[in-house]
Amino acid sequence: MLKLFKHNIQPVSELSSAQTAVEVNALNLWFGDKHVLKDITMRIPKNKVTALIGQSGCGKSTLINCFNRLNDLYDGCQYKGEVIIDGKNINSKKTNVSRLRAKVGMVFQRPNPFPMSIYENVCYGLKLQGVRERRNLDDAVESALKQAALWDEVKDRLFEPAMTLSGGQQQRLVIARALSLKPEVLLLDEPTSALDPLTTLFIEELMESLKKQCTIVIVTHNMQQAARVSDYTAFFHQGKLVEYADSDTLFTMPEKKQTEDYITGRYG
Amino acid sequence: MAKLRLSGLNAVQRQSLVISLTAFFTGLLLIALISVLVLITARGGAYFWPKPIYSVALTHISPPALATDQVLPKEAASKETTPRETEQVVTLLANVFDDEAKSEIRLKYADALNPYGAQLLVERERIKRIDLAKNSAEIKLNDGRQVMAVPENVVTPEGANIPLAKLPQIMESVALISDEITKLNKQFLAPIHESLSRFDNRDVAADAPAREKLVAQFNEYQQRVRSLETQRDQYKLAVSFAEGQPFSIPIFTIQSVDFVSRLTGFEKWQVAIGEVFVFLTESPKQANTSGGVFPALFGTVLMVFIMTIIVTPFGVMAAIYLSEYAPNTALTTIIRVSVSNMAGVPSIVYGVFGLGFFVYTLGGSIDSLFFSDTLPAPTMGSPGIFWAALTMAILTLPVVIVATEEGLRRVPEGLKAGSYALGATKIETIVRTILPIASPGIMTGVILAIARAAGEVAPLMLVGAVKFAPALPIDGEFPFLHLDRQFMHLGVLIYDSAFHSQTDAKSASMMFAACLLLLVVVFVLNILAVLLRTRLRKRYLKG
Ligand SMILES: Nc1ncnc2c1ncn2[C@@H]1O[C@H](COP(=O)(O)OP(=O)(O)OP(=O)(O)O)[C@@H](O)[C@H]1O
Ligand SMILES: [Mg+2]
Repeated sequence: MLKLFKHNIQPVSELSSAQTAVEVNALNLWFGDKHVLKDITMRIPKNKVTALIGQSGCGKSTLINCFNRLNDLYDGCQYKGEVIIDGKNINSKKTNVSRLRAKVGMVFQRPNPFPMSIYENVCYGLKLQGVRERRNLDDAVESALKQAALWDEVKDRLFEPAMTLSGGQQQRLVIARALSLKPEVLLLDEPTSALDPLTTLFIEELMESLKKQCTIVIVTHNMQQAARVSDYTAFFHQGKLVEYADSDTLFTMPEKKQTEDYITGRYG
Repeated sequence: MAKLRLSGLNAVQRQSLVISLTAFFTGLLLIALISVLVLITARGGAYFWPKPIYSVALTHISPPALATDQVLPKEAASKETTPRETEQVVTLLANVFDDEAKSEIRLKYADALNPYGAQLLVERERIKRIDLAKNSAEIKLNDGRQVMAVPENVVTPEGANIPLAKLPQIMESVALISDEITKLNKQFLAPIHESLSRFDNRDVAADAPAREKLVAQFNEYQQRVRSLETQRDQYKLAVSFAEGQPFSIPIFTIQSVDFVSRLTGFEKWQVAIGEVFVFLTESPKQANTSGGVFPALFGTVLMVFIMTIIVTPFGVMAAIYLSEYAPNTALTTIIRVSVSNMAGVPSIVYGVFGLGFFVYTLGGSIDSLFFSDTLPAPTMGSPGIFWAALTMAILTLPVVIVATEEGLRRVPEGLKAGSYALGATKIETIVRTILPIASPGIMTGVILAIARAAGEVAPLMLVGAVKFAPALPIDGEFPFLHLDRQFMHLGVLIYDSAFHSQTDAKSASMMFAACLLLLVVVFVLNILAVLLRTRLRKRYLKG
């Protein structure tokens, strides 16, 4: 059914710069001596959902952490190459990392709400950006929670601890938290791996609707999910980008044997 | 050997052996803990409980050598002096205590020679008779001394003998006279004296009329005070000791008269609660052997409070640096290990450091910079409560650092990453996310620090705690908080009363009472901190 919306899919090779949200050029990354990302070059299209798939440990999380420089947190992580967002190489020393991270939202595999109220959780980023007026905060909280389809469930308990929410609600809360900053790119690292099928569906629909405002990159181990929600899919193996194409092509007629084996579950 | 025997057992037996062994040691530990608590509570509580007075008849050797605080040497009493020559029965009013040696009892007695009480250790066989002295009373004086005697009647200035029943009224009217005297002194004598000295300063001739008038006034008021004083002093309580020896006590010096031997259970509680109140609110009297411990309680709490204010930010900052900022190098590891080891340095070392560095060096320099006009009398360059608090802060710093680091380590990486991913800088992440979550851990450190500081004695004696301080570190005089003053501390008070306790049972129980109070203080401070920690936990760590 979702395929109906995917009529205007271009092959990845034909993406223009204007259609690109994140451009990765010859990116290499090491954790200590370990070469984790090997020469990755790819363009992630604007206002589309791009899925990253691949075996555990192949470097998917590491790659999306490169898009908001979250790898900087780890000692011994070194990288080379370009990641271009909004025409600027974010790997350059001049980048304002805080501003970059406000622009590139991220949702983690495990819901990680802060131990504060629901309201405070959603405001966290805004307050960091210096928004102080109560009215602006109220409005932003409401619209972010509505986007994340959580508003109706929590509107009467905004000031209760976020920890009292269920796992699925927590995951939507952290999505709302990321959305409150109106990010250009939203990185989702296995956002549904800890959730039940119904909540998963919920979040998948959410992605579909968010596409209009931002570019979504999702890491997933679930082939059906990748096929369902993504416009493009990239398959990684041991730190290398093996195959990258629009999802229809990649899942129906993969070029490489390796990809085919992986998506049909013949090895893993 | 043990191995050989163990290998003879099967697995279940071996396990139950381990379980019973560990349980045995846990039990021992529990017993030790409980006996500490029971001993301190019982001996400390006994201090407040009114002790009945007995009239004790005992054979006495070589009169009249019953000097104050004398403990008769045992051998001398039993062998060298033949009882027949000098034997004589004396009767004393006394509190009776069992002594550690079963063959002896300890008496705290009063007689005509020692109206304010003395101690005696007597062999049981020398006791002829012990009766409850129903009519005797414990008469507490304002100066902390007390008399055990049988009140007979009240003597008025006119020489009339008034029955005892009137004592409360008379005590009241004497109190009125005392108030009047205080009022005259305060309202008239002191101001006149002040104006007179102003005249003196201005070199007004001694016979100037204004001055003469003042002098006349002064004399007049002084006259009134004198006559009031004589009137007051002549109200007396006539008492007698066990053998009828008379004694009289000026009523204005009496604080309370308790007929401890005929109190009902309820009245005993009343007396005990009154004693607790006095203990908590009054200053020590008679060289820390009676009265209260208020200044020590106050000093302890204030010192701990100042210490907490100093040690918490320092410890937390250091821990944040060590766990969040310091590079992961050998140097950091060395620093971390030395910090944990600092917790094991003997506390007296910190005391010496505090005296040598804080008091002499730091305090000395502050004096020469800011208080040079009062030198050579030191202001900050002498031991005082601030230096004591600072020394204790250094002493407890490792505890706070280690506990805080532990708390920081427990903050989930996912939360930190979540904060960074929203654009927070490191410092913002620390302040907004890491510290709140680590706050229960920090509180644990502070709790440990408080318990440690409240109980420490040795280093405090070097840097500002004293047996007796004339003034509290906080009073109504600018600047209200006198950080340079010496202060009293419960631990030091206990230490001090332990020295008196060899000769004075009362002081011994005061030591236990102070010890009980110290336990209660530490307990209360801990409970407060634990409550706070639980609230923080609920707030920040609820899963
Ligand atoms: N902080 C780190 N320090 C050292 N090595 C790391 C670190 N993070 C990841 N690695 C290593 O980098 C490689 C890629 O890890 P990454 O988390 O990107 O894998 P992934 O594809 O996301 O796997 P999964 O599907 O299990 O999440 C792994 O071999 C991992 O051991
Ligand atoms: Mg991953």
